[in-house]
Amino acid sequence: MPAMGEAAKLSHTAAMILQAISAGYVYGFSIMEMTGLPSGTVYPAMRRLERDGLIRSQWEKQSIADEEQRPARKYYKVTAAGRETLEASRKRYPLLERLLSSEEARTL
Amino acid sequence: MRPAAETACHALHAGLLRAAALLVPAGQRGEWQREWQAELWHVSRSCEESKFCWQAQREIAEFCLGAFPDALCVRRQMHDAAEPAADVHGSAAQCLVGLLAAALLAMLAAGLLPGLRAENDAARYQVKHGLMVVWDGYRTASASQPSISQGLYEDWKTTRQRYFDGLAYYRMEHEVASLPFARRSWNVAHATANFFVVMGIPVRLAAAPDEAERGLPQVILSHAAWVRDFNADPAAAGRVMRMGSRWVRIAGVTPAGAWRLPGEPEAWLLEDDAQLKAEGGNGRLGYLIAHLSRTGLREGWDGEHISITARGPQADALDLNGSAIATQIVGPWALCRFALFLALLALPAVTSVSLGESNFSFHRPSLKRRALRVLFLSAKLALIATIACYGSMLAGYMRTSEFSGAAECVQLVACFLICLLGFRWALIDQRQRCPVCLRRVTHPAQVGLASRTFLGWNGTEMICMGGHTLLHVPSLPTSWFSSQRWMYLDASWEFLFADSPVW
Repeated sequence: MPAMGEAAKLSHTAAMILQAISAGYVYGFSIMEMTGLPSGTVYPAMRRLERDGLIRSQWEKQSIADEEQRPARKYYKVTAAGRETLEASRKRYPLLERLLSSEEARTL
Repeated sequence: MRPAAETACHALHAGLLRAAALLVPAGQRGEWQREWQAELWHVSRSCEESKFCWQAQREIAEFCLGAFPDALCVRRQMHDAAEPAADVHGSAAQCLVGLLAAALLAMLAAGLLPGLRAENDAARYQVKHGLMVVWDGYRTASASQPSISQGLYEDWKTTRQRYFDGLAYYRMEHEVASLPFARRSWNVAHATANFFVVMGIPVRLAAAPDEAERGLPQVILSHAAWVRDFNADPAAAGRVMRMGSRWVRIAGVTPAGAWRLPGEPEAWLLEDDAQLKAEGGNGRLGYLIAHLSRTGLREGWDGEHISITARGPQADALDLNGSAIATQIVGPWALCRFALFLALLALPAVTSVSLGESNFSFHRPSLKRRALRVLFLSAKLALIATIACYGSMLAGYMRTSEFSGAAECVQLVACFLICLLGFRWALIDQRQRCPVCLRRVTHPAQVGLASRTFLGWNGTEMICMGGHTLLHVPSLPTSWFSSQRWMYLDASWEFLFADSPVW
């Protein structure tokens, strides 16, 4: 949990994942593709971010998944606290925003 | 195409996920598996775009292997949520729970002590104020010897008394009581029927006797005899037994008390005046119990003793003495209150009563934090007082089953010591608790050298593991650094306390 009531300090990896989710990569596999991180890093990091209230998850509606003939996915979304932390992380890791925004522009 | 290999790979991937799922706590396993299977579906679709490829299968397998660290992470999170030991250690809650448990234990143990119940009874059932035993100073040197004839009692009883509003009389006899398993010689007081009314002691009476037992003489047992000879059996009251040459019915048991009557009766045989006179004859002496009226209390009674000049049976003047039957006892709760008061008086002599509120800056915790700190200290002190109260009763009455002056002394001393040392500990503990989160500061570090005290401070630094404060305690109080000070940590210290950056 964040110390002294302020934004938690994230590692570069966690900040990258948070930035990816913020940029619209809302499920694990897309974040893996976006960041190039392995599944063994991305999913545990998302668990911790969710535990700390920086992101929250929601299951996709089954009807949508059925229409597309695929299993329903779990989507992640950045919370208000997550946005604050991300802002602080962007200051700490100035290249983070540039790296992901360029990727974002290319992918989305 | 190699469908068998593809099937085997799919089975391997599913097997890896299932194996990893076993690491996830059962409550979360279903959702965890659902997420990973959905992700696997998408990964497989993305990797196996056209035909079977070992490279793709390897990537999918690598993806599935990532499920293991994730499963372990979920498991660890569940474990941390269930046992937040690190957060609890040294916390205010841990301290209060420990004290509360000790207080409950002491209460439970003290509640089981028969001596404590006897002490409580003694405090509750005290003899009336102004009750005394009258004795003739010409016949005996003290109130413990019988000196009053029944004739005087009857004379006083039948005439109007200015100084007394209650009179009772008893005479001691040794009689053999046939107990359930033995015969024992008892000191039996043959007393007038109004004896316990004058004494003002509520006797625990048995149920009304049935028709066959209605004519039997009624005996009241002393609490000590009931405990000693009947093992405090509640069914003893109402029993018929042989005492001396007659059958008697045990009508009740007196409560334990601090009162000690001359002759130390173990049982009271209640009789009417005529029967008492017939048995004793005119020559036998006994004890006269008298209760002073308001006039008597006002004139001459010093709380312990009174001199009485009365008219004798032959209209002659009699100089008599009256001695109080028992001094008022304070009872265990009043003793605790007194010990608590003494401990509070003595506390400044054993420790500083300051809470070490000074700090290096003008920063002050919020009002809510300060209120919580005060509440925490109050709760600690209240629990320590409770522990002291019940613990001292435990110490005092562990070895006695009835009222005892020695037990009262032990209780008073024990309660005082526990309160004094406990309050001292509470204040010292409070001084070492972070004003923000109430955790105990830890990791003491020695700073400076004693030999350079006048060049710079030396002492101990301790830090709050919540990252709020640093406590400086000087080893040698000086004019510029006499007591401990708190330093509130700013943002530059955060790196020490931020969540582990390994992830």
